[in-house]
Amino acid sequence: MVWKTEKVNMPFEVKDCTLITRMGGVQAAVSLRELREGVARCPLECLFHHFCETQLRPTFDDPEFSNDFAVWAAKHVRDRILAERLGVINPYEFDNLEQLREVVLEVVDDRLSEVGHHQFAPAGEDFRFMRAVTVVFDVGIQLRTPDDLVTRLPQFSTSSIYYHFVEARRRTETRLDDFSNWLAGFGAGTEPLLDALHGIDFYYLTLRELKDALLEAVCQPFMETAHG
Amino acid sequence: MVSMSLDSYEDVVGQVVIAQLRKLAHQLAGARVVHVNSTREGGGVAEILSWLVPLMNDLGLDTSWEVIDGHAEYFHTTKSFHNGLQGSPAALTDRMIKVYEDTVSANAERLRPKLSEADFVIIHDPQPAFLIKCCPERKGRWVWRCHIDVSRPNHRIWRYLKDLVSLYDASIYSMPHFARRLDHPQLIIAPSIDPLSDKNCELPQGYIDATLDRFGIDRRLPLLTQISRFDRFKDPLGVIRAFDILSGSLDAQLVLAGGGADDDPEGQAVLNEVQETARGREDIFILDLPPDAHRTINALQRASTVVIQKSLQEGFGLTVTEAMWKSKPVIGGNVGGIRLQVHNHHTGFLVDTPEGAALRLRELLRQPGKAGRMGRTAREFVTVNFLLTRHLREYLTLMLGLRHGLESRLLAG
Repeated sequence: MVWKTEKVNMPFEVKDCTLITRMGGVQAAVSLRELREGVARCPLECLFHHFCETQLRPTFDDPEFSNDFAVWAAKHVRDRILAERLGVINPYEFDNLEQLREVVLEVVDDRLSEVGHHQFAPAGEDFRFMRAVTVVFDVGIQLRTPDDLVTRLPQFSTSSIYYHFVEARRRTETRLDDFSNWLAGFGAGTEPLLDALHGIDFYYLTLRELKDALLEAVCQPFMETAHG
Repeated sequence: MVSMSLDSYEDVVGQVVIAQLRKLAHQLAGARVVHVNSTREGGGVAEILSWLVPLMNDLGLDTSWEVIDGHAEYFHTTKSFHNGLQGSPAALTDRMIKVYEDTVSANAERLRPKLSEADFVIIHDPQPAFLIKCCPERKGRWVWRCHIDVSRPNHRIWRYLKDLVSLYDASIYSMPHFARRLDHPQLIIAPSIDPLSDKNCELPQGYIDATLDRFGIDRRLPLLTQISRFDRFKDPLGVIRAFDILSGSLDAQLVLAGGGADDDPEGQAVLNEVQETARGREDIFILDLPPDAHRTINALQRASTVVIQKSLQEGFGLTVTEAMWKSKPVIGGNVGGIRLQVHNHHTGFLVDTPEGAALRLRELLRQPGKAGRMGRTAREFVTVNFLLTRHLREYLTLMLGLRHGLESRLLAG
């Protein structure tokens, strides 16, 4: 099967990543007031970790909320109103992490003004600010055509999916995923595929779900082209 | 020590995971790594090192494992450190400090050339921690790997150890809540189990049956088991109390099985106490097993209806992981790393009292369907989170990170 593309493109170098978490260097929070102080002072890497790298961490069951602040508010402070307000924040909607910090502080400040300073987590359930050391490495696979993406995608690790489809939005100028950036170079023939990729609401999916969604998105236009 | 290669694990974890490890390790090929702890056998640390070291070698790292050679007074001192770090009252006298430092210094004479030349030195727990002071000419990165919960230590003991630990380039803890604030980077690596080891591999039913017969355990009755060292923090007397509450209403048997470790001088006293409490009971089996009784433990866990780990303090609780890997629901003490593994009402139950343990034991014995569902969930959870491949990946990530100053993001190769 050959894609009806107008251009040749640079090969796509498949990468993978792995992380190890480390303490964020900020005092643990027992109360909402302390959470606010920690969010205000913590390195931006902590915010990125608690909002974005949660997807890379294995979890027991589908978490109710996608970021650690919302999970802590719900599970340990037992403040579901705050948890829902924090949980709806999508970190990829902001141009930078300082903007994300401002929004989180606004939400916590609003809640503090509603409930006062009496929201505490039980002993031993304080919020620990964490960050990660992420190592990115070459997998040794090159994709030359969109067909290669279709055939190789099932072998991608979930962390590779995270790197190319999620984390890419933080490091690329277009703020798109690596697949879209690369496929765009092939011209109009890849438009159905690009549309399908752009339609994936990745933030609320586990990486396994995201991989399934990507496989469906990538294979569907391929099948249509193959039969069209 | 196991001699399996990493490829042996492909059937369990998949080819992608193995390939990922090999790619990562390629960046570290030839690096000299030395692990140091205080016992070759007995306890979770020795078990982890027994697979970690050969697999690191299989990945192309030049890895060795050294053990501190100590005497009774040294181990009494380090046991006091161990208890004190976990919050128990513990003495620390000048004599104890002298014994500790002299013993480690004597070991340093033997180990110094190797440690000084290593690219990475990983010192496990407080027993060998003083080595860093004995090796001022250090070529590589030194990391203190703490396997216990030091979040609420005896302050006298922590003040002494903090001065040593602060000299390391980084420290590792099993959970964020175990860590103390220090000026160097503090990293988190949860422990793991080896699914192909004697302790965790599949066993023929005939072997399991024969094991039960050997100890006179009735194969027809439900079996409740706690596997752990005879240590007060494991609360073996609390487990017997829970069983006593239960035994009026249900026919079952209790096994408390474990052994000592070379670095634990209190084990015999606790074992005596437990044996005295269970004296004359035909439904309670106290098994003092040798440190290499891995297949026996495996068989007991597989034969169990429910596995208990009712610890009062716990570093991580590898016996919980082992039981979950064998699809057993676990009733665990609501402490330490057990909370990371036992998800209440999903993979087992967390309890705070013997009464709580009795309540949940009754629930699982009366509802075998629920016990089965929990066991299956537990197995899945361990497969994703607590197998040695994840553990190995995090060590490799750490070493690559250390080479580059533990920056947030780094490109390797």
